[in-house]
Amino acid sequence: GSASSRPARSRCRRWGWTAARPTCSRSPCPRTWRAWRSASTSARAPAPRRTSRRLGRRPATGPRPGTPRTRRNPQTLQLISKKKSLAGAAQILLKGAERLSKSVAENQENKRQRDFNSELLRLRQHWKLRKVGDKILGDLSYRSAGSLFPHHGTFEVIKNTDIDLDKKIPEDYCPLDVQIPSDLEGSAYIKVSIQKQAPDIGDLGTVNLFKRPLPKSKPGAPHWQTKLEAAQNVLLCKEIFAQLSREAVQIKSQIPHIVVKNQIISQPFPGLQLSISLCHSSNDKKSQKAASEKQSPEDHLYVLEHNLHQLIREFHKQTLSSTMMPHPASAPFGHKRMRMAGPQAFDKNDISSLQPNEGLLEKIIKQAKHIFLRRRTARTIDSLASRIEDPQIQAHWSNINDVYESSVKVLITSQGYEQICKSIQLQLNIGVEQIRVVHRDGRVITLSHQEQELQDFLLSQMSQHQVHAVQQLAKVMGWHVLSFSNHVGLGPVESIGNASAITVASPGGDYAISVRNGPESGSKVMVQFPRCQCKDLPKSDVLQDSKWNHLRGPFREVQWNKMEGRNFVYKLELLMAALTPC
Amino acid sequence: MGVTCVSQMPVAEGKSVQQTVEILTRKLELLGAEKQGTFCVDCETYHTAASTMGNQGQAGKLMYVMHNSEYPLSCFALFENGPCLIADANFDVLMVKLKGFFQNAKANKIESRGTRYQYCDFLVKVGTVTMGPSARGISVEVEYCPCVVANDCWNLLMEFMQSFMGSHTPGIPSMFGNKHDSIYSPGDTMAQYMELFNKIRKQQQVSVAGIR
Repeated sequence: GSASSRPARSRCRRWGWTAARPTCSRSPCPRTWRAWRSASTSARAPAPRRTSRRLGRRPATGPRPGTPRTRRNPQTLQLISKKKSLAGAAQILLKGAERLSKSVAENQENKRQRDFNSELLRLRQHWKLRKVGDKILGDLSYRSAGSLFPHHGTFEVIKNTDIDLDKKIPEDYCPLDVQIPSDLEGSAYIKVSIQKQAPDIGDLGTVNLFKRPLPKSKPGAPHWQTKLEAAQNVLLCKEIFAQLSREAVQIKSQIPHIVVKNQIISQPFPGLQLSISLCHSSNDKKSQKAASEKQSPEDHLYVLEHNLHQLIREFHKQTLSSTMMPHPASAPFGHKRMRMAGPQAFDKNDISSLQPNEGLLEKIIKQAKHIFLRRRTARTIDSLASRIEDPQIQAHWSNINDVYESSVKVLITSQGYEQICKSIQLQLNIGVEQIRVVHRDGRVITLSHQEQELQDFLLSQMSQHQVHAVQQLAKVMGWHVLSFSNHVGLGPVESIGNASAITVASPGGDYAISVRNGPESGSKVMVQFPRCQCKDLPKSDVLQDSKWNHLRGPFREVQWNKMEGRNFVYKLELLMAALTPC
Repeated sequence: MGVTCVSQMPVAEGKSVQQTVEILTRKLELLGAEKQGTFCVDCETYHTAASTMGNQGQAGKLMYVMHNSEYPLSCFALFENGPCLIADANFDVLMVKLKGFFQNAKANKIESRGTRYQYCDFLVKVGTVTMGPSARGISVEVEYCPCVVANDCWNLLMEFMQSFMGSHTPGIPSMFGNKHDSIYSPGDTMAQYMELFNKIRKQQQVSVAGIR
């Protein structure tokens, strides 16, 4: 509004200099005095000075000369006004502080509420949850992944409310907790082991459990994740064992499988026993005490346990594969073509070709057989290699194997002569029950699972190698091979394989070396000298000419053990060198 | 599924059905066939309900629902000279639902049970045809598995049947005459069985009537 409409006080306050002019007769006017005073006590420090300068005569502060009434009033008025303004400011600050503390308290409360929900959200990212009434239930079974196991696998999510807000919140506090079914508590694994057959049938059912340390969970994983994962593992192990025991009972095999409590025992090979057991240890203290003694897990085949898990997951995937899904709601689970079996009048051959032939148990038994056969073969070759130094046996195992087949290449060589004596190279294909040997010369021999057969075969090959080496050596040394036989029909009969023999003649024809080597009888070397060098020959009248004396005469045996040389071929080389005069 | 010939073996003079079956199976075993379990072919009769008949003069049609253990998941439904339906095993349940339209003549249920022999490419099934508790006759089914065209292998089938059935070898079935170089199907086997069962049913009735 205009200057005139405003009250005098405010006018005076705004234009401090105008208040200097007395507006009333009484000087100083209490009204204008007050106004003047308030203007002069404004915040800007130079202003009072300016005003006082402008005002000239009357200073802003300081004791005022004049009547005692006016002397007391300014001070108290000052104090009163200061107090009031301070009180106003304090109130504003207090109100603000109150509001802040209220919001902090609310925030904390909210945080606790939001923690449960955010934790629930995190849980929902990993597990399937649904709300039933006022309970939150979850599903930890493999049913959505294709399993047909009848366990329900439901867990309940409960709010963790036993927390005292006044006390300090513990580090591992989690606002939600999961309650898993009681039969899935603890941890479980499937123990697969191959042992010598138990002599007494009463020993069955006593499985050496060893408490497997729980697999390390990720460092940031909340405790409910480890709990649920452990429970899911227990459920999977139960499913595997249920499937195996069902097959063990239903499927007819030559040697029936024994199912005892938590163990399935079958006989892959005579004298051998494969036991598959479900080891479920709950978390209570009693079992922890019992399992505290360290049981040696050496005979547990981790590979087979892993394969069992893989096989059951493959079985799950089959129920959800494209041959099964999508399917009409009225059709049972099965291969798509099986739905046509009725209308197209499939006979038994057609139906059996559609259905999976082998069950889980058969597959795992085949794998166990193969593992066992492979281990035994390796052991046989290694024991032979360490026992026999001449000739040397080398095994090169192939890295790429199948669950049912592995291969190894066995080379028999003589040390120092690897380049010339390499005629015995065997490729062994180890299958489930048999070993197929492919020789370098093309022969294919099938050996059974018996350890002795492979050992005998390798020994006979080693003996043949010696004679083959002589043949190669003769080529190098320039000697002529007169006769060579892998299986001689003369001499003592060998119990393992056959003896081989070779006769080589020197370049000049004077001498001949005859070697006979058998797996059991060892090597026998004989040298044929020319007649003129033999002293004890009977003289006869038949030979008139002296030229006949240069022909080779009788044989004399070489004392091979006294011969110098590291191995057979070396010794023979020295012998050949000795018999070839320069 | 090969070409099949279903025929009836008359009961030998002075012998029961059981004994004739035994003679036949012994002949087969001497021939070198190996036993491979049992088989069963059964037939139920349904006639169309009178309520659904439009004209009263029209005779009710007879429908035969048959099962064969050789095709364990299938069910065959045939009309006398009409089409043959090969369906899933749930067809029986469907027939129960259609009770209003097709009524089961339970007394007419007939079946043939016996042993199954395999002789190289041939499958021979010798069965006793029973209706209720009584045995009515003998059925012999011979299948030549590799061939699916009827006219091509009839001579071979006949020769094989002569080796163990002797003079009782049947003539060429009427079914084969209709099919000219078309592929043989399981429905044809069931049609042959249906004819055989009908023949046996009529036979017994005739003999019963003859006695009276």
